[in-house]
Amino acid sequence: MPDKEKKQGTNISRRNFLKGVGTGTVAATVAPSVLIGAEKEADAQTGDAVASATIQLNINGKPYQVEVEARTTLLTVLRDGIDTSGTNIDLTGAKLICDRGECGGCTVMVDGKTVYACMMLAMDAEGKQITTVEGLADGDNLHPVQDAFVQHDALMCGFCTPGFVVSSAALLSENTKPTLEEIKVGLSGNTCRCGTYPFIFDAVKTASKKM
Amino acid sequence: MEKFSYVNATSVEQVTTLLSDSRWGEVMLVAGGTDLLGELKEYIETPKTLINLKTLPGMEGIKVDETTGLTIGALTTVADIAKHPTIRHHYAVVAEAAGSIATPQIRNVGTLGGNLCQRPRCWYYRDEATNCLKKGGDICFAVDGLSKYHAILGGDPVYIVHPSDLAPALIALGASVKIVGPEGEKTMLLEDFFTLPAANPFRENVLQSNEIVVEVQVPPAKPNTKSFYLKAREKGAPDFALASVAAVFEMDGKTCASASIVLGGVAPAPWRSKEAEAALTGKMIDDSVSRQAGADAVKDAQPLNDNAYKVTLTQNLVSRAAMMAAS
Amino acid sequence: MASWGEASESRLIGKRIPRLSGKDKVTGKAKYTFDINRPGLLYGRILRSEVARANVVDLDLSEAEAMPGVKAVLPLVEVGRQIRYQGQEIAAVAAETDDIAKDAIRRIRVDLEELPFVVTEEDAMAENAPQIRDDWAGNQSEPNVREEGDINAGFEQAAVEVEATYHTPVQTHVCLETHGHVAEWEDDENLTVWASTQGVFGVRNDLAGHFNLPANQVRVITEHMGGGFGSKFGPGVEGRTAANLARATGRPVKLMLTRKAEHLVAGNRPSMTQHVRAGATSDGRIIAYDMKGYGTGGISSGAGFQAPYVYHVPNRRTERRNVAVNVGNQRAMRAPGHPQGAFAMDSLMDELAEKLGMNPLEFRRINDPSEVRQAQYTLGAQEIGWHRRNSVPGSGTAVKKRGIGVGSGQWGGGGGDGTQARVTINADGTVEAVTGTQDIGTGVRTAIAIIVAEELGLNPTDVMVKVGDSGPGLPSGGSGGSQTTASVAPVIKTAAAAAKQKLFERVAPQLEASVEDLRVGNRTIYVVSDRTKTIKWELATGQLGMESISEGGHWDRELRQGGVAGTQFAEVEVDTETGAIRLIKIVAVQDCGLAINRLTTESQINGGVIMGLGQALLEERFMDPQTGRMLNANLEDYKVPGTFEIPEIKSIVFDTHRKVTGVGEPPCIPTLGAIANAVYNAIGVRIRELPITPDKILTALAEKKA
Ligand SMILES: Cc1cc2nc3c(=O)[nH]c(=O)nc-3n(C[C@@H](O)[C@@H](O)[C@H](O)COP(=O)(O)OP(=O)(O)OC[C@H]3O[C@@H](n4cnc5c(N)ncnc54)[C@H](O)[C@@H]3O)c2cc1C
Ligand code: SF4
Ligand code: FES
Ligand code: FES
Repeated sequence: MPDKEKKQGTNISRRNFLKGVGTGTVAATVAPSVLIGAEKEADAQTGDAVASATIQLNINGKPYQVEVEARTTLLTVLRDGIDTSGTNIDLTGAKLICDRGECGGCTVMVDGKTVYACMMLAMDAEGKQITTVEGLADGDNLHPVQDAFVQHDALMCGFCTPGFVVSSAALLSENTKPTLEEIKVGLSGNTCRCGTYPFIFDAVKTASKKM
Repeated sequence: MEKFSYVNATSVEQVTTLLSDSRWGEVMLVAGGTDLLGELKEYIETPKTLINLKTLPGMEGIKVDETTGLTIGALTTVADIAKHPTIRHHYAVVAEAAGSIATPQIRNVGTLGGNLCQRPRCWYYRDEATNCLKKGGDICFAVDGLSKYHAILGGDPVYIVHPSDLAPALIALGASVKIVGPEGEKTMLLEDFFTLPAANPFRENVLQSNEIVVEVQVPPAKPNTKSFYLKAREKGAPDFALASVAAVFEMDGKTCASASIVLGGVAPAPWRSKEAEAALTGKMIDDSVSRQAGADAVKDAQPLNDNAYKVTLTQNLVSRAAMMAAS
Repeated sequence: MASWGEASESRLIGKRIPRLSGKDKVTGKAKYTFDINRPGLLYGRILRSEVARANVVDLDLSEAEAMPGVKAVLPLVEVGRQIRYQGQEIAAVAAETDDIAKDAIRRIRVDLEELPFVVTEEDAMAENAPQIRDDWAGNQSEPNVREEGDINAGFEQAAVEVEATYHTPVQTHVCLETHGHVAEWEDDENLTVWASTQGVFGVRNDLAGHFNLPANQVRVITEHMGGGFGSKFGPGVEGRTAANLARATGRPVKLMLTRKAEHLVAGNRPSMTQHVRAGATSDGRIIAYDMKGYGTGGISSGAGFQAPYVYHVPNRRTERRNVAVNVGNQRAMRAPGHPQGAFAMDSLMDELAEKLGMNPLEFRRINDPSEVRQAQYTLGAQEIGWHRRNSVPGSGTAVKKRGIGVGSGQWGGGGGDGTQARVTINADGTVEAVTGTQDIGTGVRTAIAIIVAEELGLNPTDVMVKVGDSGPGLPSGGSGGSQTTASVAPVIKTAAAAAKQKLFERVAPQLEASVEDLRVGNRTIYVVSDRTKTIKWELATGQLGMESISEGGHWDRELRQGGVAGTQFAEVEVDTETGAIRLIKIVAVQDCGLAINRLTTESQINGGVIMGLGQALLEERFMDPQTGRMLNANLEDYKVPGTFEIPEIKSIVFDTHRKVTGVGEPPCIPTLGAIANAVYNAIGVRIRELPITPDKILTALAEKKA
């Protein structure tokens, strides 16, 4: 096995830290002492590795062309991305809430399945059908889930709502008549802090009658 | 995330070559990314290059064969495993484990390979600023620190618990894993794939830095088998196991012909409890036998400051699984 | 005297009306501060300390400044100053993309000389603890002692006594939209800020002061806001920094806190530890209460809690202290001090009742001075099926045991003066209502539309409501303390009434009737004494020609009332082998005064209950004494309720009068005690520390067995 060549994330003295007795000056933990030379473009040694690229994305049935870095997430493209024609993509329905795949605020569908857009690289979404909350309604006609959310007041501040709406729509497209337990499982990847869950469950049940 | 460059893998050979030509950590693999991206976002890993395994042909999918059993490609998603009819029917423990993982969104993209190779969730490990033993530092902070979610078995010197739910389930079924490296492929028992920190505190498995997991094979389901995955958690989802039990029983009426008991969430590797298996094998399962099995499973437990409850919890889960087999 | 009229006369008020912003929110069109995208927008980020206490020895911004795409780097701490908690600001960056901003803060060098720290109450109060505040000995404030009656005499009368220690840990707000701002300077003297705030005028005044500008040259906009729960008043360091970065770069800057920073520096609910000794008489009266307690609100004070709570205690002595730790400060959080106090008090009540051999509900009836709650006890007990509770807690041999418990709460929420509003009727029949409050998810926008529509005979959707903008210069207070609706509704109602009066004056001659004889109907104005005389709304307003009617209102005290009582009942099932708790049902009987919109009021009650159950069963901030850092500054290990935690919730809107009051906070209070008591009723072991997690259940059951 190759030697463990792990960087030391920080060079603070743990022993001192442990005792809670700082002695002398140490570089702060907030500044890593080793910086990986990541700025350089495609590494010669890795052949066709790309550090950035112009990719085609199909979002809500519309084609977009956007330049991304390898590390750019799908969520960043949706929210902050600029099409090569210069227009902002500006699909801000999906939110960044936890940035770690723990909350569902960034839920979108990729090829009909829900994913966390904060945990997906934009390059991985190339060639796939991406549906965001903005793409669910048919013009002015709300998706049954959206309509039911409004009628049941399944939202308060509304910040989590786009994620819940997308998850609910995906759930109903797989299972048109879910039980309460199945609704809970289907929406278990989404979090609401205002506490709208009871009315969300009601809304999904109502919407399921129209599916 | 620091910047990195991205390679869509075209063949296993290309992947192992790229890995062989680099230092540990410089080139990393990504499948669904649900675990790795968390590490990159926290700057726990800062690879120069990521190899995207998802573009590898032939590594996705579930094959069922009467004689050879079940073969699951490393790129198969957790969701596909959870809903596969044969798995649900004949390998319930795996379907239940898969269904208990994280959330629908993660199950939709997270893969089998990634699930087995995912890194620890220990809160010291996941904090960039804390340089613990596992990251090359001097101490394991869990020893004197907050250890509610840490190991009670096999800890020393680092007390992570292995986070995977699929691993205990697959091990309980006697699964093996196919690994490919520069020298070709090899197959080993999944049980032997995972290592304890005493052997190597930095990694959780024997995978070399230039090898990849390509598939998992599960022997054909035996008749009269009952299997369960019991996972205790604080929150419904997403939540890793406080403790879990993957249990597979061959039953002859109420008598247990053979038992395979693998614990999750309590040790740095999936923990096969030979003691619990011995307590059950050949016995008529009743209340006292199942209790004995539970007690035997945690005989060697050495809890830290905050996790003695896991001893009771694990014990009870093992007994419960045994009673379920008998009913 | 102004009144909201009888329920039977109300067409809209008190009905269930979907909120106006619903469609924008379900389609993703609603723009929150986080979604604001301005031409030339830059992204701001703040570098924060990972160290709990340290002296700043050196700060070097040069490497970050030199990076391509970085437009400004500002220091936020001076060399020589002391860092006092993890997350404290060190420097800020504005860059072309968020990723560049993230890269840049990692290239700022700061040398810190670490100092001894304390991050837990225990460590802070330990004998040789490092002293982290010059003004407090032993890291503790002077005790605040209060006495009423004679506790010694009280204890002498007591037939039973309970002595116990109750604890609730620090909880964080977890606003899903983190604190953040988009700041844009029009020129050197005019600033526009989109703010995720509960108080647009508070942010405006703070920033105007900070930049020494006339208040009307700062405009603050909060069209939609993703949760505040008491933590979002004032721009904070991050808001001022956003404006400073925008000023330094001449470009708009968006600066949102990260999830981690949100946990660390954006406020929290202080912890509470109380050691209490209490006594009750044989006929069931609490007679004496002696409490010594403390809590931590971080490096400063503010760790108050209610003790005793709601029940009548004639003889009492209480002693409270604040404990300082090297952790980010507390901020108001949904009913500050109440849930903690309620948990301890309701647990104590049950412990006393048990010693007396009394039914805990009977014991409450004897000691609860609130008539409203007395009525609520009956209603709630019926709804939960109180008779089904275990008469002997923890009895039975089943693995999964059920139990039922009760808890209580009380809140103010009567609103206050200081809101200005304008209701405008235009010649084309359109109506606008403008005020400087903000809709933080409570539905005040819809409530305003309902009130105006009711007054003018229109539909809520006919009313264009403009809130969340300081631009029109119609101030309103911050949305906190459940004060919003009670502060705003009377002003809106009187403004709409005044506008209606003006319109009546215009159409009275044409209808050949006196103004007093006019009423509004459904989009019409008619004469009461001769119903054949009517005029359609548009024709009436058409008379205004080029003018429009625009009237203000006033805060009519008669239209609102403070003081709301609530009670909740919980049924739980405890798995005695795994320690898992499943909530079966919660009944929340909540005094709501006049609920302008019953639908959104029910939402608020649900929301309160769910936040309460999170505090009861899941939420806890973990501070590591070794590193001084928060171990769960995320949403994985800081656990907020998800779908699986939600029981059947029966929200009972309990109207006692037809005056507006606030219900944002009160429903999160009784939940804790109700759940804790239900758990006890199920397993016969009392858990006195929240959250009640499986480890505690298993440990307690094991101790009981031993
Ligand atoms: C909020 C949250 C909750 C979660 N809950 C659970 C849970 O309850 N139970 C559970 O088991 N998991 C849980 N997970 C972990 C989840 O990431 C995995 O279950 C998932 O299956 C990982 O798969 P992936 O393809 O996304 O892995 P990736 O992130 O792509 O990879 C993970 C690691 O494995 C390596 N790797 C991937 N594929 C291979 C391969 N073929 N060969 C060699 N190395 C490989 C990568 O280099 C990386 O180090 C959770 C994750 C999150 C974020
Ligand atoms: S358990 Fe492991 S990962 Fe966690 S602190 Fe200890 S060594 Fe580090
Ligand atoms: S923001 Fe993506 S899951 Fe929370
Ligand atoms: S509605 Fe506010 S977080 Fe869900």
